[in-house]
Amino acid sequence: MEQIFFYIFAILAVASAIAVVAAKNPVHSAVYLIICFLQVAALFILLRAPFLAAAQVFIYVGAVMVLFLFAVLVLNVGKERLGEQIHHQSVIVIPAVILLLLMMGILVAKGRLTAPMGAFTEKALEKNTEVIGKMLFSKYLFPFEVVSVLLLIALIGAVALVMKEKGSQD
Amino acid sequence: MGVGDLINRFIEKALFTDFVKGLTVTLKYNVSRSITMQYPDKEKWIPYRRWRGLHTLNRDEKGRELCVACELCSKSCPTGCITVIPMEDDTGRGISDRVARVWKIDLVRCLFCGLCEDACPTRALRLGREYELSCTDLSCSVRQREELLQPQSIPETLEGGVVAAAKFVRTPESIRVAADLGKTKKRRL
Amino acid sequence: MPDITTIIAVIIMVVKVVVVTQVIFSLPMPLTWIERKIAGHIHVRLGPMRVGPHGILQPLADTIKLLFKEDITPAKADKFLYKIAPLVAMVPAFAVFVAIPFGGEFIVPFTDKVFTLYISDMNVGILYVLAIGGLSIYGIILGGWASNSKYALLGGLRSSAQMISYEVALSFAAIGVVMMTNSLSLVDMVKSQGDWFWQWNILYLPVGPVWFVIFMIASLAEINRIPFDLPEDEGTLAAGYHTEYSGMRFSFFMLYEYVAMVTVSCLAVVMFFGGWSAPIDFREFEVLTPITSISWIYGLFGIFWFVSKVAVFIYFFMWIRFTLPRYRYDQLMTIGWKILIPISIFNILLTGLMRIWA
Repeated sequence: MEQIFFYIFAILAVASAIAVVAAKNPVHSAVYLIICFLQVAALFILLRAPFLAAAQVFIYVGAVMVLFLFAVLVLNVGKERLGEQIHHQSVIVIPAVILLLLMMGILVAKGRLTAPMGAFTEKALEKNTEVIGKMLFSKYLFPFEVVSVLLLIALIGAVALVMKEKGSQD
Repeated sequence: MGVGDLINRFIEKALFTDFVKGLTVTLKYNVSRSITMQYPDKEKWIPYRRWRGLHTLNRDEKGRELCVACELCSKSCPTGCITVIPMEDDTGRGISDRVARVWKIDLVRCLFCGLCEDACPTRALRLGREYELSCTDLSCSVRQREELLQPQSIPETLEGGVVAAAKFVRTPESIRVAADLGKTKKRRL
Repeated sequence: MPDITTIIAVIIMVVKVVVVTQVIFSLPMPLTWIERKIAGHIHVRLGPMRVGPHGILQPLADTIKLLFKEDITPAKADKFLYKIAPLVAMVPAFAVFVAIPFGGEFIVPFTDKVFTLYISDMNVGILYVLAIGGLSIYGIILGGWASNSKYALLGGLRSSAQMISYEVALSFAAIGVVMMTNSLSLVDMVKSQGDWFWQWNILYLPVGPVWFVIFMIASLAEINRIPFDLPEDEGTLAAGYHTEYSGMRFSFFMLYEYVAMVTVSCLAVVMFFGGWSAPIDFREFEVLTPITSISWIYGLFGIFWFVSKVAVFIYFFMWIRFTLPRYRYDQLMTIGWKILIPISIFNILLTGLMRIWA
């Protein structure tokens, strides 16, 4: 049962991810990206991580994609014409992609692509949010803080860039 | 501005005093009685006597027409919308031998100024209290003497300035609002 | 083959979903009438009076009108997105109600089965509600873009900018409540607030009222109601994002707006006003002591209290609508970024300190 759902979500996610790149209209790309994110959120739920799923929908679908769409609408990016961006790159790209897929297929078939199961049993994951919170603030405190500082730097950087431009205009 | 004022303003902002004031005003209006007059469904405004509505031609106590067809109304009319054609009649139809053969008013041109009423020497002409004059073609905009001689729907004795219970009457020929003058009440303001 | 209890559980779940969806789906009809009545009386008018007694059948007449109106698609619109946008706005608004608790649980009389008055108790309830509720915005943005009209596009743009600005403050308010109640689940959120009204989060002094104000302002902006209804500002944008829509598609947008208002009212009640608990703990009185918190009387009264609290909030939203004028766009941004967010951050600090020391 769960496997069927996994395949549905996974296929939809991959298909919409391809559509993001293939769509000519940037707004359509954004819509496909939203669908892709939603499928990933569904996969998180199958992995017993409802907090991650909710955060995925809340942050990526709810906020980041709104910002993306806002930018696309404000900049009024026109329809992309195929060929304008791809200067005969396809000759190299298509064999490369096929090669990559082949390699991945071989690795999966030989059972090389595996990850160890997590330390948490299904019982422990009932309180999924608590587990994540505790891990973030104990074991992974340093990476967490680094990421926070990085984000803060980016934020301040954005503000600083805008301020500078404003000053030079006066 | 002193520090005390600043603190006061901060407290006012923090407690949303202006917002609450606005809300109380609207709440008061919300629970107050509405002033809507439900015309034409249930109520109809009966104007005061001074109202200048559709012209009426009056009769004296004996039922004789007061109009002597002197044409003063027609002369005084700024838009020239009154047509009077006099004729001789000694059968006692009017108070004198001279009566109107035709007395008609074009309501499309009339501006209800009341000059005709003032000019009338016999007080035959009055601007009545009928105000539902709209119609869908021009034929009903010209009112003839015969129609204007009919007794008024709102009698002169009624003071007016009240809201009467009314009913919306729809017939194939026309629509009108029939007021029940027995049931009146003061207007809410 | 699943056993009989699973089948019964699934049937109960389906029935609950159907009932809740039907109730929520039919709610906007009376709400439009109530809103127009309140508008009328605040303006010292009467509001709808002609269809049925006191105009009570007016929403029905409106529905018939909208059903029979032509469904117009502009010539140069993006056909698919234009057609699907109203549904994108409407469906998440309904999906939110899966997590909202309308009451507690009670033991069905004569059996030992527990019946819950909510569809599902998620352990990430509040996050789910905010995340799914936020998806409706795509209906507005995409609808505005796809109709290929300058007014609609500007409406969509404004709504996306507004959403980004106020989502932050709204999440902060949610964080505040989560800190006060120690749980992300909406059911636990209600249970952690006491049975007396001074134990509710709104009176968790001094931070409770501040969180409530932040939540109310941010959610007013999220659901595009006056004074923050810039996406459909009829003064400057014709009708905003739904300028080009007509008929049922237009009514789907209206449906979304009313359902969103109900959602926000439910959230406010659950987060700050003790959900289904009565303001006074009636079980303290001697006559009523046999009523335990799991008896069916208590459960049904819970629904009564919940609905009446939500009704008060819905009235409040309508009341505000006819009291305040619309904010200017830059004022909207100032309130969002320069006032609400700094206050929220300071308040998080204060709440944290209170949790440690109190």
